[in-house]
Amino acid sequence: MARRRAVATVLTMAAALTLSVACGTTSENSGQNQQAGGPSEKCEGPDGEYTIGMSQANRAEPYRERMDDDIRAAAEDVPQFTVEFADAQQDNAKQVSDVENFLTRQIDVLIISPNEATPLTSVVAKAYNRGIPVIVLDRKVDGDAYTTWIGADNVEIGRTAGEYVAKTLLPNGGKVGELRGLAGSTPAKERGDGFRQGIEGSGVEIVASADGDWLRDKGQSQADAMFKANPDIQVVYSHNDPMAEGAYLAAKAAGKEKSMKFIGIDGLPIPSGGLKAVEQGRLSATLIYPTAGKEAVEAAEKILIDCAEVPKEQTLDTQLITADNAATVYNEANS
Amino acid sequence: MDDGVSTLVEMIGISKSYGGVRACREVDLTLRAGEVHALLGENGAGKSTLMKVLSGDVTDHTGEIRVGGRPVRFAAPVDAQRVGIAMIHQELDLVPGLSVAENIFLGREPRTRLRTVDRRAMNTITRGLLDRCGVRLDPRRPVGELRTGEQQLVTIAKALSLDAKVLIMDEPTSALSPVEVEQMFTVITELRREGAGIVYISHRMDEIGRIADRATVLRNGAVVEQFDARDLTAEKAAEAMVGRPVQAMFRTRTVEPGEEVLRVTDLVVTPRRERSGRREPDGISLNVRRGEIVGVGGLLGSGRTELLETLFGAGPPGTTRGEILFRGEPHRPRHPRRSLAAGMAFVPEDRRIAGLALDHSVLANTVLSIVDRIATAGVVPRAREAGKVREVVADLRVKLGSVTDPVGTLSGGNQQKVVFGRMLLTEPALLLLDEPTRGVDVGAKAEIYALLGRAAEQGIGVLLASSELAELVGVCDRVIVLSGGRSVRELDTRHAGEADLLAASMGEGGTAMAVETGAGAKERAPSGLRGARRRASAEHATREDGA
Amino acid sequence: MSLSTQDTETKAGRRDVVASLFRFQSLFGLVAVFLVAVIFSPRHDGELLFLNSDNLFNVVRAVSEIGIMAVGMTFVILVGGIDLSVGAVLGLAAVGSAVLMVESDFGVAAAVVIVLVIGVVFGFLQGVASAVFGIQAFIVTLAGMQVARGLARMWSGGQGVPIAYGDGPGQAPVTFSLLGERTFNGLVPIPALIFAVVAVVAIVFLRTSAFSRHVYAIGGNEKAARLSGVPVTRVKVIVFCIAGGLAALAGIVHAGQLNQGSPNDGFGYELDAIAAVVIGGTSLMGGHGTVTGTVAGALLLGVLNNLLGLHGVDPNVQLLVKGLVIVVAAGLQRLRPTT
Repeated sequence: MARRRAVATVLTMAAALTLSVACGTTSENSGQNQQAGGPSEKCEGPDGEYTIGMSQANRAEPYRERMDDDIRAAAEDVPQFTVEFADAQQDNAKQVSDVENFLTRQIDVLIISPNEATPLTSVVAKAYNRGIPVIVLDRKVDGDAYTTWIGADNVEIGRTAGEYVAKTLLPNGGKVGELRGLAGSTPAKERGDGFRQGIEGSGVEIVASADGDWLRDKGQSQADAMFKANPDIQVVYSHNDPMAEGAYLAAKAAGKEKSMKFIGIDGLPIPSGGLKAVEQGRLSATLIYPTAGKEAVEAAEKILIDCAEVPKEQTLDTQLITADNAATVYNEANS
Repeated sequence: MDDGVSTLVEMIGISKSYGGVRACREVDLTLRAGEVHALLGENGAGKSTLMKVLSGDVTDHTGEIRVGGRPVRFAAPVDAQRVGIAMIHQELDLVPGLSVAENIFLGREPRTRLRTVDRRAMNTITRGLLDRCGVRLDPRRPVGELRTGEQQLVTIAKALSLDAKVLIMDEPTSALSPVEVEQMFTVITELRREGAGIVYISHRMDEIGRIADRATVLRNGAVVEQFDARDLTAEKAAEAMVGRPVQAMFRTRTVEPGEEVLRVTDLVVTPRRERSGRREPDGISLNVRRGEIVGVGGLLGSGRTELLETLFGAGPPGTTRGEILFRGEPHRPRHPRRSLAAGMAFVPEDRRIAGLALDHSVLANTVLSIVDRIATAGVVPRAREAGKVREVVADLRVKLGSVTDPVGTLSGGNQQKVVFGRMLLTEPALLLLDEPTRGVDVGAKAEIYALLGRAAEQGIGVLLASSELAELVGVCDRVIVLSGGRSVRELDTRHAGEADLLAASMGEGGTAMAVETGAGAKERAPSGLRGARRRASAEHATREDGA
Repeated sequence: MSLSTQDTETKAGRRDVVASLFRFQSLFGLVAVFLVAVIFSPRHDGELLFLNSDNLFNVVRAVSEIGIMAVGMTFVILVGGIDLSVGAVLGLAAVGSAVLMVESDFGVAAAVVIVLVIGVVFGFLQGVASAVFGIQAFIVTLAGMQVARGLARMWSGGQGVPIAYGDGPGQAPVTFSLLGERTFNGLVPIPALIFAVVAVVAIVFLRTSAFSRHVYAIGGNEKAARLSGVPVTRVKVIVFCIAGGLAALAGIVHAGQLNQGSPNDGFGYELDAIAAVVIGGTSLMGGHGTVTGTVAGALLLGVLNNLLGLHGVDPNVQLLVKGLVIVVAAGLQRLRPTT
């Protein structure tokens, strides 16, 4: 008897859901208005008020947290902007839902730092096709259903690092150990390839290469093993700063931190970031991988307030940080 | 009762309700120093609740408790222990992984000056306590390794360590061997001499006749009668408990046995892994015919349960030698499912552990064994299922509110009937029963015996393992006596009595003391429990002993 | 029923009310959350955003994968087990779907069947390890979780395998992209439809089949079930097969929705599935619970997620709120009238 009642309740619930779906206000399914490049229909000029939806892939990474912070800081200077943040916690499906929630809330511009390209392509396209300007940061999505992409060129960053090693650190040639990012990830491949281009033709040679998965502790243990097998390594090239710091610790444990050089990438202007590490002498150099947070807000300003067009792609320059400029850059970034 | 200086505890007008059900109504009970006060009643009569009130387990009762003339109010069992009241539960509350000594001192371990546990003191004191109980046990042994009987004695030692003036014992002998029962009675006698008072809950009239001074009978939560133990007979007690005259306990007629349903020859089981506390069959031969009730007797640890489990395919994995013929075919016990399908059914020893899913409905529990047999295309036909359950409820006279109630809400006897009913629904040719009346009150016991009789009349062969001598002698046609996993004797109950059975269980070379005390127990057993057709030949040959 | 006397009926009646309150706690919880969602729904131009058809579509779609897994999980938990591997199996199945169609040029039907078989076999092996060799389900499936992740990494080369649609080589058949679409006039997402079918089949199966009686009996008292002739080992193995198969189905749906199979897919989903089951009133001790409850539990979690997302609640606070809801639901179990 009781069970039958349960079924009835479920059915009622289901009916209620269906009904509310059916009667629910149908949102603008008119959809397919491809933005051909002209000014966005969302643009109401300086008198409008705009909500930015910022969908972050994973706020647990310091780089991405800094990206959110940069966006927040930049948006505070624009009185017409309010920003809503969502964190997908490294889950593609969650990021899809986050974007969908933003659409339901009828945001005016979407900024997204995708967890992965393909899984987010369709939801980004859905937003774009509804006439919402989409600013993609760092990782791209497939196709071209977005307004603008802002990011840095990892190959270029790798090449700059390689050239710095070949020209400055080891002008007479020498041996380099490489700590790579997570196997199979695009940045790891690009930063590795770029570096090889940078040292090409010089006497610099990569004698060992290991996966540190972007992690400081993994970088440390890998470097430890690497130094034992190749005691003659002079420079460690690490795909990010935390792994470079790990390598420094491994060298210190072996008593050779003074005779070796360490290079990282990212150069985050935070107390635990690469800028400070260079300033304090642990790392010889780092290359700034810009978060593009400030640039994203600037792009939003152009689209919504100036009703102007923005370029489809915007590649940000990297900057080589050494002990000479580390402190200055840090202070500028946090002013 | 009298207010003499010797009164330890008075309970005055105790009432307690669970929901709308009144478990105790205005119960008065006194306990004097140096007396054993038996508490009788069917399951659900309110004995346990009353004792939970006294031991501080139940606190939201009405009425007054006076200890040594002073009113007290307990908020927790600790309060009761502080004034010297300790309860020995039917379900042993010991931690299996801890040693005997650790269990006894759990939560109040003696400390050294460095605030570490003083193991040496703990073990020494424990040894002394165990000596008083007459058991020789290493205080450092984990309790989990001990046999149930030994564990029971450990709980008594624990109570002794509390310097309890009032000891509540709830069916303390249900898991003890006759020798251990004697040890416990010795302890009780000594405690009583020291001026302690003991509330003794038991269904075994012979024990009560032996050691109790007074008896109080509860029915439906209220006191119906108080006896001097001297005047107490089993009939009187049963009548007071049930509220009407009880018909003869045991069946009186034997059906003519039919063809042989089970023949076991030289059964030996070698388990793949030796398990402590188990005695696998090591040379057992027996046979059961249709319509016959064959008993399996023997001391605790003689391998009764193990024999039944082996036959049913529920024992631990291992190799089996010897021959088992079931309905004329060789039977290889592999899994209970196969045995049931072949027509062999089993009612296990402890229905709470092995028989029932207590919080599932009576209905679900009853049809469990046949639910896939009556299913068509995997779907259980509701009407047919309900019909089967109605059949069982009517046939076995199961008392219940609704078949959708959890089976755990039924009384012990009715729970047992549900297990029985489940097995009878499989239409077995052979019924294996392990302690079918343990923890079952007198009324339900009689009904279960009647049920067995009817099963036999229908041509079912019954193999009944029991530790109760009276039950074996009263119910069975023959009794196979086991000792150390072997079948050592077969007794015809037309000629043999409890004393013979006990003697056979101990082995002819058993210690004289044990035989005598065992027989002494029999000597005092109230006559009403005995079936008419039994002739206890050894009865007059034994000398008086005990209290 | 007909056997009850009048006296006990009134008493039982009162107890019934309390008992049914608890039996359907997840439903009441769902109704309550639904109402709360409506009341506290953010508005935009006077419109309740929660009731926006697109939004309700999103809620049921987002719930589907966890829901499908949770149905399988319900069976395992009913026998007193647990399956921690379902999230990893989802990842393995998502990778499998993508690789089979994109790299090995299998058709949709063949790929789906193969992936489902993989899930069932995976469950079977865990079931055997747990039921036959007597290793605790928690340990077996903890190990299984690692194994499935490892297999998924190996199969995919450690990287997400994107699914492109078309007829050419290296492309998946367009049919598979239906998983990301809606049906019935664009009202019902296909994944939600699959979830609904799975749930209804499971509910009916659990109510009527002899097998389900065995499932409950094992959870209620395994020893008693064995002695009553229940084929305990077989039932347990089958239950793990069901969980593995449904996790694989969820993985297929996952791949179809995200157009990719990644070895990291479904990370931590097993905990959401367990949460849905527990919120649905199924006892982790086994023997008590319903798929109806699990469905309600999954929907409740989904509505909660959606509501928190719509309000733009700080992601860290969201975690706190969800934790609290699970604890409260589990706490309510303790108030359940005991017998």
